[in-house]
Amino acid sequence: MEVVRKTAENVLVLTLTGRFDAHEKAKIASQLEDAAKQPGVQVLVNMSGVNFIDSTGLSSLVQGMKHCRQQKGNLSLCALQQPVRIIFELTRLDRAFDIYQTEEEALTALFA
Amino acid sequence: MRIAVITPYPPSTGTLNEYAYHFVRFLRLKPEVEEVIILGDELPPGESYDLTLGAATGSCPMTVIPCWRFNGVDNAWRILQAVRRTKPDAVLFNIQFASFGGGKVSASLGLTAPSLVRMAGYPTIVLLHNIMETVDLKNAGYADNPVMEAVIRGFGSVITWMVLRADLVALTIPKYVETLEAKYKADNVVLAPHGSFDETKLPSFDLPDGPMQIMTFGKFGTYKRVEVLVEAFKRLQENGHSALELVIAGSDSPNAAGYLESIQQSYADLPGLRFTGYVAEEDVPRIFRESAVVVFPYTSTTGSSGVLHQAGSFAKAAVLPRIGDFAEVITEEGYGGEFFEPEDPDSLAEAISRVLDDPDRRRALGTQNFMASQGLPIRDVVDWYLLHFQQIIKDR
Repeated sequence: MEVVRKTAENVLVLTLTGRFDAHEKAKIASQLEDAAKQPGVQVLVNMSGVNFIDSTGLSSLVQGMKHCRQQKGNLSLCALQQPVRIIFELTRLDRAFDIYQTEEEALTALFA
Repeated sequence: MRIAVITPYPPSTGTLNEYAYHFVRFLRLKPEVEEVIILGDELPPGESYDLTLGAATGSCPMTVIPCWRFNGVDNAWRILQAVRRTKPDAVLFNIQFASFGGGKVSASLGLTAPSLVRMAGYPTIVLLHNIMETVDLKNAGYADNPVMEAVIRGFGSVITWMVLRADLVALTIPKYVETLEAKYKADNVVLAPHGSFDETKLPSFDLPDGPMQIMTFGKFGTYKRVEVLVEAFKRLQENGHSALELVIAGSDSPNAAGYLESIQQSYADLPGLRFTGYVAEEDVPRIFRESAVVVFPYTSTTGSSGVLHQAGSFAKAAVLPRIGDFAEVITEEGYGGEFFEPEDPDSLAEAISRVLDDPDRRRALGTQNFMASQGLPIRDVVDWYLLHFQQIIKDR
């Protein structure tokens, strides 16, 4: 899985590409853990390039969100492909995360 | 958050007691959890709950209130009263269809508890480990003729509908979610991974000196039956596998009292056959580590297998029945094994032999099952439930 990092104002944007499964968990988890050390951090994970996610991938995002919220920040998601969105709906984690249609929409909301 | 968990909990020997033990020990470590209140079943005279069980540094306080009895008919009411007394912020039921009784009436009445608790105003999640639609009622000892089966299925649908009155019903298999959504138009069912009990490095494949142990683990007598396995063991001995031991680890199913004793009597003269009786929590690792292969002599299944998760966590090769639902489920979860035709001791003997005679195959299957078992630790699964509770509370 490829991870591209960028910062847009106060939002850390991680753009993921590829399968998000057990083999990739460590890579993403460490990035999210690092990001969550900053108080009030806002992380946006752009999932537009993710075509598969399993329970360990979901769990990495849940852990990342928990860590961010413990620091009074948040982790949001955007641009979920349909198969990935179905997994979020099946697990009802779509209700736990703030999920946006596009990165632009997410950044607009997060900047507000 | 103060969370009440309705579940069998060790030393209770009710099914799902071990899952509860692992779930609760991680639940107690979550910073958002202030107290865990186990609403467990009443223990036999002389036994008591150990409040230090599973406690680690940082664990929140735990209280155990025995407030229901297997086969009791007033369990739902008693659970509701206990919930009202303890006033938790959220209530989790860790149950399956026969958690509250081996009889149709007691099992059904107990399953009305989640709806009562929810109606009383408490955020309620049911972790339902099986669904009525996939239970083989005949094999599970609930129906012995088609008419009775149809009646029970109809009644089971009503009970399922009652269980679905909870805020959320969590299921561990995607197919179960689909079934309940389709049949009951339920919009409050959710997929939640089973989770692995422990996070460990790949265990050693070395075996203790002495005969190689073929092990089966569980509560026997209904859909887990050992006759075919014992016959397969005899075939293996007849075919020259002399240094073998068959270990039947566990006790009778609540619906089949006396089953293992009758098997023990029937095969009293068979060398190499060992019955462990009930396996205490602290002995479980040893039982698995010493085994060369774990066999699942199921005639039907009621969902995913906690025993398979355990076998995987100890990197054990598995020998599994070729039953549609079971094979599909375990394959989806990444597990593998040698398969046999249920009720066919020759097929089972051959499957066991393929594992025992090929150390590379044994290691490969063990490694595959280990990787599958490590998919998602129960520590992380617990977080999903906490998120769901937070969301339910927020939505109210």
